[in-house]
Amino acid sequence: MTAFREIVGFEVAHYARQRATWIYGAVFMGVAFLAMTSFVSGARGSLFNAPLAIAGSTIVVSMLGLLVTAALAGDVATRDANARIEPLLHTAPISKTTYLGARFLGAFAVNALLLVLVPVALVAAGLAQPLDPEFIGPFRPAAYLGAYALFALPNAFVTTALLFSLATLNRTAVASYVGALVLFLGAMLNEGVVAEAMGRWEEASLLDPFGIVLLRSLVQSWTPAEKDTLLIAFEGTLLLNRALWMAIGVAALALTLVRFRFGHRSPRPYRRGSRLEGVSLKPSVSPASAPHVRRTFSTATRVRQTLDIAGRSFRSIAMSRGAVVLAIPALFMMVAAHNLMVHMGTPLTPTTAYIVSLFVNSGDIFLAIPAPFLIVVFAGELVWRERDAGLSDIADATPVPDWVPFAGKLLGLSLILVLLQALLMTAGILTQAAMGYYDFEVGLYLRVLFGLQLSNYLLFAVLALAVHVLVNQKYVAHIFVLLAYAFTIFARDLGVEHNLLVYGADPGWAYSDMRGFGPFLWPVVSFRLYWAAWAGLLAVAATLFWVRGRQRGFRPRVQLAQRRFTGAVAGAGATALIGVVSLGGFIFYNTNVLNAYTTTSDRMGQRAEYERRYARYRTVPQPQLTAANLQVEIHPERRRLEIRGTLTLVNKTALPIAAVHVVTASDAEVRSLRLDREAAEVRADDGLGHRIFQLATALPPAESLTLIFDLQVEPHGFTNSALDASVAADATYVSHRRWLPVIGYQSSRELQSVEERRTHGLPPRPATPALDDEQARHEMEGAERITVEAVVGTDEGQVAVAPGTLRRTWTANGRRYFHYATDAPIRNDYAFFSAAYAVHEAEWRPSTRAARSGQADVAIEILHHPNHGANLDRMVRGALASLDYYTTHFGPYPHREIRFIEHPGDGNSLHAAPINISYEEGFALFNPTADERKIDLPFAIVAHEVAHQWWGNQVSPAFVEGGALVSESVAWYSAMAVVEQAYGPDHLRRLLNVLRDAYLSPRVRAGVPLLRASDRFTAYRKGPFAMYALREYVGEQPVNTALRRLLEAHGSGTPPLPTSLDLYRELQAVTPNSLQSLLADLFERNTFWELSTQSATAEQDEAGDWQVALDVHARKVVVDSDGVETELPMDDLVEIGIYAAAHGSDNGDPLHLRMHRVSSGAQRITVTVPREPARAGIDPRHLLIDVDLDDNVAGVVRGPAKASRQ
Amino acid sequence: MQLQIRNLSKTYANGVAALKDVSLTIHPGMFGLLGPNGAGKSTLMRTIATLQEPDAGSICLVDPTNTGHAIDVVRQKDKVRETLGYLPQEFGVYPNVTADRLLDHFAILKGITDRRARKEVVDALLQQTNLYDVRKNKLGGYSGGMRQRFGVAVALLGNPRLMIVDEPTAGLDPAERVRFLNLLSELGENSVVILSTHIVEDVSELCTRMAIINGGRILLEAGPLEAVAELEGRIWRRVIDKGALPQVEREHAVISTRLLAGRTLVHVHADTSPGPTFEVVQPDLKDVYFSTMAGHSLRRCEHPELAAAQ
Repeated sequence: MTAFREIVGFEVAHYARQRATWIYGAVFMGVAFLAMTSFVSGARGSLFNAPLAIAGSTIVVSMLGLLVTAALAGDVATRDANARIEPLLHTAPISKTTYLGARFLGAFAVNALLLVLVPVALVAAGLAQPLDPEFIGPFRPAAYLGAYALFALPNAFVTTALLFSLATLNRTAVASYVGALVLFLGAMLNEGVVAEAMGRWEEASLLDPFGIVLLRSLVQSWTPAEKDTLLIAFEGTLLLNRALWMAIGVAALALTLVRFRFGHRSPRPYRRGSRLEGVSLKPSVSPASAPHVRRTFSTATRVRQTLDIAGRSFRSIAMSRGAVVLAIPALFMMVAAHNLMVHMGTPLTPTTAYIVSLFVNSGDIFLAIPAPFLIVVFAGELVWRERDAGLSDIADATPVPDWVPFAGKLLGLSLILVLLQALLMTAGILTQAAMGYYDFEVGLYLRVLFGLQLSNYLLFAVLALAVHVLVNQKYVAHIFVLLAYAFTIFARDLGVEHNLLVYGADPGWAYSDMRGFGPFLWPVVSFRLYWAAWAGLLAVAATLFWVRGRQRGFRPRVQLAQRRFTGAVAGAGATALIGVVSLGGFIFYNTNVLNAYTTTSDRMGQRAEYERRYARYRTVPQPQLTAANLQVEIHPERRRLEIRGTLTLVNKTALPIAAVHVVTASDAEVRSLRLDREAAEVRADDGLGHRIFQLATALPPAESLTLIFDLQVEPHGFTNSALDASVAADATYVSHRRWLPVIGYQSSRELQSVEERRTHGLPPRPATPALDDEQARHEMEGAERITVEAVVGTDEGQVAVAPGTLRRTWTANGRRYFHYATDAPIRNDYAFFSAAYAVHEAEWRPSTRAARSGQADVAIEILHHPNHGANLDRMVRGALASLDYYTTHFGPYPHREIRFIEHPGDGNSLHAAPINISYEEGFALFNPTADERKIDLPFAIVAHEVAHQWWGNQVSPAFVEGGALVSESVAWYSAMAVVEQAYGPDHLRRLLNVLRDAYLSPRVRAGVPLLRASDRFTAYRKGPFAMYALREYVGEQPVNTALRRLLEAHGSGTPPLPTSLDLYRELQAVTPNSLQSLLADLFERNTFWELSTQSATAEQDEAGDWQVALDVHARKVVVDSDGVETELPMDDLVEIGIYAAAHGSDNGDPLHLRMHRVSSGAQRITVTVPREPARAGIDPRHLLIDVDLDDNVAGVVRGPAKASRQ
Repeated sequence: MQLQIRNLSKTYANGVAALKDVSLTIHPGMFGLLGPNGAGKSTLMRTIATLQEPDAGSICLVDPTNTGHAIDVVRQKDKVRETLGYLPQEFGVYPNVTADRLLDHFAILKGITDRRARKEVVDALLQQTNLYDVRKNKLGGYSGGMRQRFGVAVALLGNPRLMIVDEPTAGLDPAERVRFLNLLSELGENSVVILSTHIVEDVSELCTRMAIINGGRILLEAGPLEAVAELEGRIWRRVIDKGALPQVEREHAVISTRLLAGRTLVHVHADTSPGPTFEVVQPDLKDVYFSTMAGHSLRRCEHPELAAAQ
């Protein structure tokens, strides 16, 4: 026992003496502080120091603390072997248990003590935040103690135990680092796949060693009130998780104890067959002599030596245990490719563009972490290799110049990174081949993986090596390298935004098939060269300070460096310095002189300033846009855009208008802007782009005036931020909102978030105006009906698109011109496109009935990238089916054409502007033929977008709460009807199942009713399902009639604009009295049903029919926005379904599918069916919103019904 | 207290057979193990010091007066370590710790729990190894000889009855070597002290019994004086030119060569005079060593008592 205590005390004292330990402590505190202030905002309710936030910060520190634990554990396990004191220790009379146990306890104690600093830092974070007292909750020690005891301490125990075991059994510290990486990636994998993708949150919570999954599920399922007050209880899943992982830790230690052996480590055979036979040494009696050789010291020798060191370094890394990390990205790609290359479950075509953007931009941890890991760990190992082996004295005395070992090791590390990229490329190609896609575009792989990405890695390799040379202590240097990495990642959050100041930074780039690298490459290359010059300086510094010999202190090294600063080294340093200054100057000229450099806070300040100056004009009546007549010149090569033309504005108010406010984009060069009548320009704020024209004579109501303008946009050089690639050499996509002048105060420029508004001293504002806001119903911005006539000029090889019909196209001066004009007024939302499109055409003819009521033919056009033509037929079919259904059931389509236009971007979003529906390149990659769920997602999405031509573009809702119900929800509802008509009810059911998947993750039930809801989930999922449920209850015809009436009343776009209440009124009108309460449940209240089938039994009667008895349980609650549940008595019609034998995952043939009256509580429902039933349940089609979907239907058991449990 | 080694064999995983059927009986006192590098000395030392396990054979620590009380070194490592002092051939220390702190640490590990007794022992050992004046210095700053002396102090903690000393004087200067050997000689009274070395003088000065080991086998086991006496009149010397060496090697049993004033001095083993140019020389332990290595005395001279008992 004394020996045990002695060893533990010895260990703790040892670490207390190390500088590295105190730096670890500082890092813990820093990370905890940052986590609390920056990263954990989602975990908070409104209180800054809510217990959940404290726990969240603690977990973040635990995970990042893995590195510290790895270093500690690795050091503890290998120190004795490294100090070669093992023979003295292992012959002392201490047992294995004492030796290992005390060592482990020492490391764990140090770790635990360091983690005590975390609550200290968290409390400090609370004190340091300049927040209103209302945002700081009461100081509750229980929260901090709880976080420490439940998360920090057990996490430290488990990680220390596992990593200590790994390092001890493998007798190398690298095993500890690899173990840490595996734990980290495993936890991320668990969260991303098991929890999020597979939805198995319970299992994931158990499998997670850190507690992040548990925390996330709490964050998602607790109401804001709970988040503020509740302490995390040590029960249930948390208890199980902690117990399980502590047991795993103990098991690892036990295994180590069993397998560890004191004693001498015999040499392992490195290669089979290299057995050294017992050499019989006959004592040689003659003196030895060595043969004479010549030595050379030329440049060729230096190169040869460098290459030799490089090869040796490469091999030492490739053969070490850490090399397994090289395989991770490749394996990940092969294994997870199917899950990565899907959108909403539909597989995507694995184009090379898509795969390289996955590699580089997805931020997926498995792809992003191996290179930094290799660099961080092996830079240190390489620099220390000779010293660790005890060989440094011999190596340092060889006649090799100082730069050779540095260059050789850098080259070796670089070769490892090259190998990593090669493996990644191979994995990408194999994945594509496995999915049947063979257009590999190897050149693109090379440019991205070996050009852009590898150059970034190499910059860091130089940095890591240089840090390890300059900071002459391995573990301290590791921390510095990691801090440097962390800085580059979090620089923006820390307030450093200029890319000249963050090592390795650049403005960012993107590749797409349509645009290629676009204009991004040139700035990125400039920055890379600039940072390469810095890397050159670092390399020179490393050479000057290269550790050679026994000199340890700082001053001797500086003196040595001064003496080394001659000849080639000085020359290289000077060259690098010139590079830094010249490239830096060039970049600075571009980012700060040619363009205005603004930080995020500058931009926010500008927005606040705009509001401060001009918000007073918010309610000043302004004329409304009715027509735009434009001349657009696109110069793709120079990325230059010229827009000239006139905007016709009409006074649609009841009073005369005295002043006209015109707002332009601040990055547009306004060459001229004037009105067609006398007016004084009383305000011309070029910086913020706001102009005020005081009319000489006020504009009377119903009169119009014209705004004449000429502006151009041309980039000068590049900026510090990501480039605006709206106008690019190969593809242009410019929304009308981007650069065209707009009228009136632009409230869209205001700051949105509560914190930002407070920082700038602005009064709070609601995100969305309330449902009963009458004024908002007259806000026409974005909903005006206008006619557009535009002549667009572009390069000869490209096709330009604007809204309306193409009247004429011609060539002049080597450029091509297109004249478009709208036939009927459109909602004010349009864009200009230009690219070398391939055009696919089709024609839709209306049914005779529709033709008789005036519906004309509609031309269908799809303009797409020539290689993205896989889904054209599908899209055309979708458009045809949608036009059929919507013109039959809702109302006419007022235009002569409908277009789908592809634009650059690797997302897959679509935007349904009037006539022209634009889609990002990612949408073209959908591959529904490979979708195992047998649904046609692109078809459904096309139907949804075409539906927007009615819901959104004709019926434009007011910008108030619940507005999305009228546009998005009804559009999805319409699309569902089209899918059913085209593919049948089974297909629709499969599609609905996919859409319903969104319910699976833990979701807050608190919320506002559908009529008032504005969030994405409500608009795209809950709303459509409510409408579909209504359709099933009330019938398709009545609901369509209600929609048709809504269209007739509001399709013209005349104010006041419709709201969800208008829709609701129409629905009420078609709903029979018996279902009015259901209608209210779905729309007026935030209702949740809890329906379950306890058991289902069936017995055959004398007639051969089957008597089915279902024991069901029903409950209905209304949840308010604070999460308070109120139960409502149920007396509702609910569908009861009984099915015959099932095929696959379907329920089977329905034998009985009818509405029954169901009340609250448990009840029995008996039904007679002609055939043997297999499954039965309540609301089997999930028409009523129920969070728990699996308990509605049960298998039918043959036999008499059980005694009623009423 | 005797150390009985019976039929010990060890072959490493890379094929090297380090020990081949080694048998020895070692009584209290200084026992020297002599042999060239790679002979198997360190393997044997480590095996006795419980750091390695043999493939075959046994090692027992036997108390002849109490025949029931024997410790199997291979299987009862913990018991052996309670009375073991081991000075390895190569070892390091924690550089950031002071000598007295680390010696104190080892004293606790070796079971000296009483604080006052421990302080006395530590101080005494530091004095004995002449490290007392530098006991507050960090071990990282010690020279090779000082580190060696520290190792001796650790080995001597707790008055071990089995002392294994592996190549101890290799790194010491002449004065240190003399002091070290004096220190060792005082131990030999009641403990078994095995001194493994390739420096012949260490054995001749200190040991009462010795064995010569090569290629994993014991070539000779005898007392040093007896072994030397065996070679009386059998060792001859001659000074020759360098060029003549190959022919002399062919004609006679040359056991060692040396340079002397630019010419070569050879020692030859022969039962009778090999020729007029040779003169007889008084043998010493070096000659015993070289002639054994050359294969001339594969006899094993048993301990007189045991031989009498047979």
